Amino acid sequence: MDFFHQHQAQHYLVLASLLFALGAAGVVLRRNAIIVLMSIELMLNAVNLTFLAFSRFPLVPNSPMGSFLSGHAAVFFVIATAAAEAAVGLAIIIAVFRSRTSVNVDEFDTLKL
Amino acid sequence: MEVSWLHLIPLLPLIGAALNGIAGRWLPKAVVYAVALSTVWLSFALGLTAFVQLGEGQLHELAFNWFSVGSLHVDMGFTVDRLSGALVLVVTGVGGVIHAYSMGYIDEDPGYARYFSYLNLFIAAMLTLVLGDNLVAMFVGWEGVGLCSYLLIGFWFTDEEKAYAGRKAFIVNRIGDFGFLIGIFILFAHVGGLSFAQLGAAGFPVTQAWDWPQFAALCLFIGATGKSAQLPLYIWLPDAMAGPTPVSALIHAATMVTAGVYMVARLSHLFVAAPGVMAVVAVIGALTAIWAALIGTSQNDIKKVLAYSTVSQLGYMFIGVGVGAFFAGTMHLVTHAFFKACLFLGAGAVIHGLHGEQDMERMGGLRKYMPSTRMTFLIATVAITGILPLSGFFSKDEILGQALHTRAFNFLTLTPGSGVHLGFLGPVIYVVGSAAAFLTSFYMWRCYFLTFSGEYRGPDDVHPHESPAIMTVPLWILAVLSVLGLLLGLPPSWVHGTWLEGWTWEHFTEGLFSRPRGGGAEEFAPYLGYGIALLVGWAGWACSYALYYKRGLAGDAALTARMAGFRRTLANKFYVDEVYGAVVVRPMWRFAKGLWRVVDATIIDGLFVNGIPSMVAWFGAMGRRFQNGDVQRYAAVTALGVAALLYVFLVRG
Repeated sequence: MDFFHQHQAQHYLVLASLLFALGAAGVVLRRNAIIVLMSIELMLNAVNLTFLAFSRFPLVPNSPMGSFLSGHAAVFFVIATAAAEAAVGLAIIIAVFRSRTSVNVDEFDTLKL
Repeated sequence: MEVSWLHLIPLLPLIGAALNGIAGRWLPKAVVYAVALSTVWLSFALGLTAFVQLGEGQLHELAFNWFSVGSLHVDMGFTVDRLSGALVLVVTGVGGVIHAYSMGYIDEDPGYARYFSYLNLFIAAMLTLVLGDNLVAMFVGWEGVGLCSYLLIGFWFTDEEKAYAGRKAFIVNRIGDFGFLIGIFILFAHVGGLSFAQLGAAGFPVTQAWDWPQFAALCLFIGATGKSAQLPLYIWLPDAMAGPTPVSALIHAATMVTAGVYMVARLSHLFVAAPGVMAVVAVIGALTAIWAALIGTSQNDIKKVLAYSTVSQLGYMFIGVGVGAFFAGTMHLVTHAFFKACLFLGAGAVIHGLHGEQDMERMGGLRKYMPSTRMTFLIATVAITGILPLSGFFSKDEILGQALHTRAFNFLTLTPGSGVHLGFLGPVIYVVGSAAAFLTSFYMWRCYFLTFSGEYRGPDDVHPHESPAIMTVPLWILAVLSVLGLLLGLPPSWVHGTWLEGWTWEHFTEGLFSRPRGGGAEEFAPYLGYGIALLVGWAGWACSYALYYKRGLAGDAALTARMAGFRRTLANKFYVDEVYGAVVVRPMWRFAKGLWRVVDATIIDGLFVNGIPSMVAWFGAMGRRFQNGDVQRYAAVTALGVAALLYVFLVRG
């Protein structure tokens, strides 16, 4: 079938959504804060994949809004943001671990106060 | 004649009530007494002035326009005519005497300031009732005296039983007052005004049919049965004896309970237009007279005897106004005020002298210890039993004679158009009334003999003593008035052309009522009636003398041996309180309890008061689930929310 032999946008989009859902499930369900951070990375990369898919298969050909490189540019921004986020997130986790001796997210419920 | 000072008559006692009620507890005792007595006696002086000034006419004062709603204009106005003027003198005169007596009676009670405040308030309300020139003003006084009655019956309110008696009086009176109010509404709706002048000029057509004037009269009479303790609403009066004895004398014998008679007489034009209602009034009066007299024969509490006697005598007054002899009914009102107040005050002196003993079984032989009390009690007993020509003889016989000769029911049939004529009602009422007169004589002499004759039966440590002069002088004043009251009732043929003629009540009230007599004056032969009345009175005395004079309490035992069941029924007051309890009070109680459980506890408290907050609390609990501080829960909810939004906008939109 065409679906398996021709590389089209929807292949990349389906993969991206699966990755995103996997990441979201990890964020919501896992207790270990480091795993949660990793799951966030997964979600970000799923989005990156989407950007690239639309860059390769633009919805509107010859769009005046930008060239095929605009998606690539956005991905670099995301990677930079993700790096910053990972650094800050790990710092927070270490700070919390020092006071609580635990990295389990479900034990950190002081937000409600 | 318009004057501008009539409002002072009720206002002065009101000021006295306010002074003693607000500041009484800080004032010295002498000041409290002075305020209470001076205001009443000043009212008496003003009443006397008005009485002298009014001559054949009337004095009127429009105090102020009270309220105007739509077409209803009610003025607070006061009228003194010969009837209300005489009643003002009775209320303030007897009231003043009883105020003086109370100084001796209530002296040892710490609540004396409160007592005199209530008593003054009562005088003010009663004067408003008597003087008011319209039905609404009268109703104000009517409710005011009811309130004071409640307050004074429950004067010793720490005693649960006495507080209960006060509530009973108030509630039973409310039932009657409801009828009074409905009557006022009917009259306003059809006449358009409520002043006695307007009602007197309304010209109600005399008819047998049941139309609005008849219903208005019936409703007003229901009010009268409550206030004046007639069947079926008399039950509160015997219990009202829980109050201090001077209160029983003033409120529950001399003045307030006669308000119903006064009201019917005041509205004579309305009542005469309703012969059917007149028949009801007369029949209720006759039934009450004999019913209460029967119960009175078997009571051992001296105040209860006098209470049932009062109910019975009020029945006579209603016979009088019911057969169309308004002057006879109101005359008995006046004379009864004198001798019954004297009897009650005498009973109060006895109770006072025996340190609170009310049971006649522990009295007897008191003539040795309290000569003044005994003499005045004897005079008043003679007056009420109608043996010798004292006041009660003439006024009671006038009522019975008028009942015998009345023409009020001559054209009345049982139902409109039926063949049963009610012309026989008058003679029947005469017979019933005479029987009640015999019983009156019997139980009053029984009361006298058991109290004052024979030997003292009380405990040895109670030493009977005569009351101080402040209590015996009022007794003598009232005893003299009970004798002088006979002047009111002298038959016209005896006094024709003499100076006494102006003093007879019939002459005095001429023209005030819608009709002068129950029957024709020409066919009224007093001597046969007088003979029968004397015979009846003496017969009652003789039976009582034979039973009680020598033997004392053994007389009761002899009577009980003859008719044990009947005596027990009478001693238990025909079980009326029990019947009311089973038929009215307890079903009402259960109904109220059901309402409380279902409406109040379940619907109001459960659904509204507690239901709405618990719903809010439930929503709060739901909301709190989302705010548990778990960051993953927040993320999950956010994700779900985004998913839902995407679904709505992308898939469905």
